[in-house]
Amino acid sequence: MAVPTIQRETSPARPPTSRLLLWLRKQGPRVGRPFFAVVLSILIGSIVILISSPGSFGDRLTTISDAYTALWAGSFGDGFSLSNTLVKVTPLIFASLSVAISFRAGLFNIGAAGQIVVGAMAADILALKATTWPGWLLVPSMILISMLAGGLWGAIVGFLKAWRGAHEVVTTIMLNWIAFYVTDYFIDGPFTAPGGVNQTNALPLQARLPRITDIYNATLGQFLPKADPYMYLVDVGFLIALLALGVYWFISKRTTFGYEIRVLGENPKAAVYAGIPTKRNILLVMAIAGAFAGLGGALHLMGQFPYQMVATTSRVDTTGFDAIGASLLGMNTSIGILLGSLLFGGLRSASPLMQASGISGDIVLVLEALILFCMASEFLPALRRVLPDWLRIMPARAASPATATPAPLPVEESGEEVLQEASTKKAGDDGTSLKEE
Amino acid sequence: MFFQALLQVLSSSNTWQNALQFAALLLLPALGGVISERSGVVNIGMEGMMLIGAFTGVYVAVNTNNVWMGLICAIICGGLISLIHAVVSINFKANQVISGIAINIIALGLTSYLLFVLTPEHQGFPQLAASLRIPTPNWGPLADIPFLGAVLFQQNLIFYLALLILVGIHLLLFRTNIGLRIRAVGEHPQAADTAGVNVRLIRYWCVVGSGLLSGLAGAFLSLGIVGIFNANMTAGRGFIAMAAVIFGKYTPLGAAGACLIFGLGEALSYSVSLQGAGIDSNLIGTIPYLLTLIALVGFVGRTVAPAADGAPYEPGSE
Repeated sequence: MAVPTIQRETSPARPPTSRLLLWLRKQGPRVGRPFFAVVLSILIGSIVILISSPGSFGDRLTTISDAYTALWAGSFGDGFSLSNTLVKVTPLIFASLSVAISFRAGLFNIGAAGQIVVGAMAADILALKATTWPGWLLVPSMILISMLAGGLWGAIVGFLKAWRGAHEVVTTIMLNWIAFYVTDYFIDGPFTAPGGVNQTNALPLQARLPRITDIYNATLGQFLPKADPYMYLVDVGFLIALLALGVYWFISKRTTFGYEIRVLGENPKAAVYAGIPTKRNILLVMAIAGAFAGLGGALHLMGQFPYQMVATTSRVDTTGFDAIGASLLGMNTSIGILLGSLLFGGLRSASPLMQASGISGDIVLVLEALILFCMASEFLPALRRVLPDWLRIMPARAASPATATPAPLPVEESGEEVLQEASTKKAGDDGTSLKEE
Repeated sequence: MFFQALLQVLSSSNTWQNALQFAALLLLPALGGVISERSGVVNIGMEGMMLIGAFTGVYVAVNTNNVWMGLICAIICGGLISLIHAVVSINFKANQVISGIAINIIALGLTSYLLFVLTPEHQGFPQLAASLRIPTPNWGPLADIPFLGAVLFQQNLIFYLALLILVGIHLLLFRTNIGLRIRAVGEHPQAADTAGVNVRLIRYWCVVGSGLLSGLAGAFLSLGIVGIFNANMTAGRGFIAMAAVIFGKYTPLGAAGACLIFGLGEALSYSVSLQGAGIDSNLIGTIPYLLTLIALVGFVGRTVAPAADGAPYEPGSE
């Protein structure tokens, strides 16, 4: 509520501060919506616990505080939890990049789950077939083949979208389930481990990624106190994920291709007029998306879980769906994706620990869904309309849904509609912000 | 060898009985999907709505000791959860796909959480007694007809209800004024609005209708077929139903045909003798999705969604 007042006082007098405030004012809405989403979901989550838990009112309040304490302790509370969270965050970053880069192009990729599985499966099959290869050959080959396989899986979606007009939401859902079933076939069939435990044989030792603590102990740990590698499980896959975030930033902000897909996402018709090769770019962006997710699946397999059991029909892994939340929450920016992945990874990693303290960890799914609802819909603008004037913290620009969701779902032959909607929204936004100023 | 086994399985009445049962289970959410998509609201939350129905059915049936109460509450709760989707995507103009995903996640989370909180010792529900399950009506001598008796006249009550609903929704969509309005709202909401149709109201009813039907399907699964509730017991059936909607070209009868094919696929994947002949049940599981992809690509007559499907409607927009 204070921000606009301060700005009015300072903006003419002190230019440097005003530039900072202007920047804040520009960034405020982008942060405001995710912040609002998280706070609201925590509030509603508390209400769900309040209603459903047994005991007196006081007991219930205790349960709520226990739940959130356990959530914090289990996600970021100490080094051990933080390390476990980072383990969950690693594949989530890759999957979110897959979702985000397609969002940029106006494509709704809910196929990250399938792409992860396909990438992990390809790497697994290679490692189990080529057990005699040395590590320096095997690990890069696994990384490469996982990106190829994931990329191919994504490219199918791009091809069907660009040349046959098949909606990517539908094709990705179908391809997810095909990926799950085919993986199950490989796990239960040709590559099953003896004993029938729904997993493959373990990866050969030279195919596994070292933990960060192993590297630390081998280098700095020679001089400083050593870290316990069984305490901190996070592997170098996390570092590769950070690198991938940089690659994503570079692609989307510093290359022609990145510019082209952003034009494609924000105004498909303009992209066509500008002579941007739309079809080729759709194919390419889906292939890159698939490669990101496939790599994530393979690294998770190589770093953490040397048995291919990442996501199958019998054991649904939600990384692919968490990724949608993470990239929505992060507004498709690199830093936002990192933060969103940390949040959702933290929720995931705390969930089993909450179970241990007597609160069902499944409540984190409810929190996640509530965040999705808030990010997807225009609660915040609607709320602002209802709120009295003095409570209007955020400038009206926060209303623009274009920053949150890539575009209204591309419908068949909807280029015109998208164009018109975008222009009407722009006009509306400008109008309101002018009014406030 | 393989064809012999396939022939043997296909000639068994047991296979067809299972196939029709699974088909009816898919048909209910698929019909819901048809009306929802026809009215212009993308619904990929049917999986979650089914799960809510399945949970509510068992919870209420166990606690009131009455299967019918369970059934009714399952339908109502399916409708309530779909109301969230309706409010968020119609009033708050949310991206309907994200809202659908959120419905699926919240249903999975809520049912698993409540299964933990609401059952004694956090152990889940026991297997339901026969009196707490939806009965199979007795057709008397009809049930003794050699092949057809087992296939058609020994089915669960909901199976026959699903057939009635199929006919009802087909007539509703294509033979009534309301159906014309639903289709108009999905194809060209601005024109419908100009003609005096309440676009939002129609969409509300269609989304809630899909929730009611999905809730019914969930109860059919937990109270009728399986007799227990497990976490995530729908196992992707809501998505197969969605595939059936598309494969059936967004028509009730087409969706029913697709459900029959997919139901037969599921029945075959459970058949032991086929597995003996070297056909993996996992690979059979991919059939519905592969067929739908082929239908989308359009080698055999392309599937086209309603024109305004997925686009939120703003009164006064062009």
